[in-house]
Amino acid sequence: MKALIVSEIVDGKLSSGSLEIVSKAEELGLEYQLITIGSEEQPIIGSNSFKQTYLKRSPNSLQYNKIADYISNVITNEQINLVFGSSTYQSRDIIAYLSVDLNSSPVSNVINFSLENDKVITLNSINGGQQLYKTEIDYSISFLLIRPKSFEPKEFELNTNFTTIEIESGNCNVYEIHKEEKAGPQLEDSKVVVSAGRGMVDASNLELINKLSEKLNAAIGGTRAIVDAGWMPYSQQVGQTGKTVKPDVYIACGISGATQHQVGMKDSKFIIAINKDEEAPIFQIADLGIVGDTLTVLPKLIENI
Amino acid sequence: MKIAVCSKQIPDPANEVTYENGLLKRPDEQVLDDTDRYGIELALQLKEKYDAEVTIISMGPKGTLKGVQQALQMGADKALVVSDESLSGANALITANVISEVAKLSEADLIIFGTESTDGYSGTVPQQVSRFLNLDCISYVKAVEITSDKVTLTRQTLEGSEKVDMPNKCVISVTAGGVEPRYPNFKDIMAAKSKPIEDVNINELNITAKQNLKFLEIEEVENSKNGQKIIDEGEAYNTIIEKLKELKII
Repeated sequence: MKALIVSEIVDGKLSSGSLEIVSKAEELGLEYQLITIGSEEQPIIGSNSFKQTYLKRSPNSLQYNKIADYISNVITNEQINLVFGSSTYQSRDIIAYLSVDLNSSPVSNVINFSLENDKVITLNSINGGQQLYKTEIDYSISFLLIRPKSFEPKEFELNTNFTTIEIESGNCNVYEIHKEEKAGPQLEDSKVVVSAGRGMVDASNLELINKLSEKLNAAIGGTRAIVDAGWMPYSQQVGQTGKTVKPDVYIACGISGATQHQVGMKDSKFIIAINKDEEAPIFQIADLGIVGDTLTVLPKLIENI
Repeated sequence: MKIAVCSKQIPDPANEVTYENGLLKRPDEQVLDDTDRYGIELALQLKEKYDAEVTIISMGPKGTLKGVQQALQMGADKALVVSDESLSGANALITANVISEVAKLSEADLIIFGTESTDGYSGTVPQQVSRFLNLDCISYVKAVEITSDKVTLTRQTLEGSEKVDMPNKCVISVTAGGVEPRYPNFKDIMAAKSKPIEDVNINELNITAKQNLKFLEIEEVENSKNGQKIIDEGEAYNTIIEKLKELKII
């Protein structure tokens, strides 16, 4: 089986999601190569362990159609059977385009896969991780979108050993870019995460979350409900449509534990949940559950740490 | 101008999800996916500003059509519905193929989606539709302005946001938070009853996508941790502190 990993760049380097897939490909002994899409000038995405092609787009143009055209050609010409991408904004869009070109529906949100007699078997987590859905892909070409944090990334020595292909500009022009300031510990790599849900009742009560996270040097997360309500920026959303985190300790404050949220945090090493509702699903996955009012428990907790 | 909003009828998310032979069990009465309300709201705001016609496109078992009615109640003008036994268990690519064909029938300039459905979460259909139609697609859109030859939009990114302009015949997927979906009043609900819902015959569409995904099985995962659970009587914070010390966090 020949594999292609559609990859991306975070902070100037190959993303950890991409490295996870590379590690899995190595473990399975696949013949694989990478194609990475980005607009950085000198990214650190190469390696002596794999073939890397950098599709460089202009930061002022979102020409995913042209990028997909290029990759489709590579897949056809090099007879690639397996195409991977992370379930992230960019890779998901590109894999979607490719699936039309090659007439093979992708499997989204894959958390593990295996190869059996030239068939690809994928596993998806459903019902908030209470069940695993097994699919066989019956086609000579398979597209898999892998959820970040599904595999353990190996350490790779990265360098600038890659081929660059400049992609010409397309119809979608970016004329203004706004970057939110990153302050404090980041969700992806913090050892402790303090997360808030609807049980915080009002946006002003998030001050308690801020104070607790300061004391614990923790990153702050939130559920889809409170992000949709505008209490927190999207970059802090934990769950199916947001980020997946696996910290040492996850403190869920006023979070009921809907499927959408659990998918993004259930693999945290130790989960502490504070919720008024004794029947809340979050307690099924919590290592320590406190049945009580978050707004009463948090101030005492902050004061006594 | 014509706008199509692709929206899905899903089992009420308040109820427990069950599967049969790998397929989500769909009751006769399904509701409008909340995710789609943002796309519909955005389309309605554009309609009010630029005098557009808004068509709902929906694929799936019709049932009572409650979900489609809910979309019309919000203010969409009409609906095109594709429902056929052969589409049961359709993968994302087949779904996108069908929707792109129906979008052609709707003659829409702008085709709007939610980011991903609440029951399927594949999140690839908008891009696939754009590829079938040979149009550009931008995902995670929060706001849209239209000029004579361009669409200008604000897009959420991992790091913040960006502003993009693109040809005014295009596909977008809309994320939550950019607009606040409206609630229909009694008058809207009554008015929706006389709005046209047209059935599209699957045989009249050019479907080339194939079913390449085969359901094998669903495995139960022993998920319950049987963790410690205590009722707070004023001192529960102490248990948390002890645990955090034990875990060497403090």
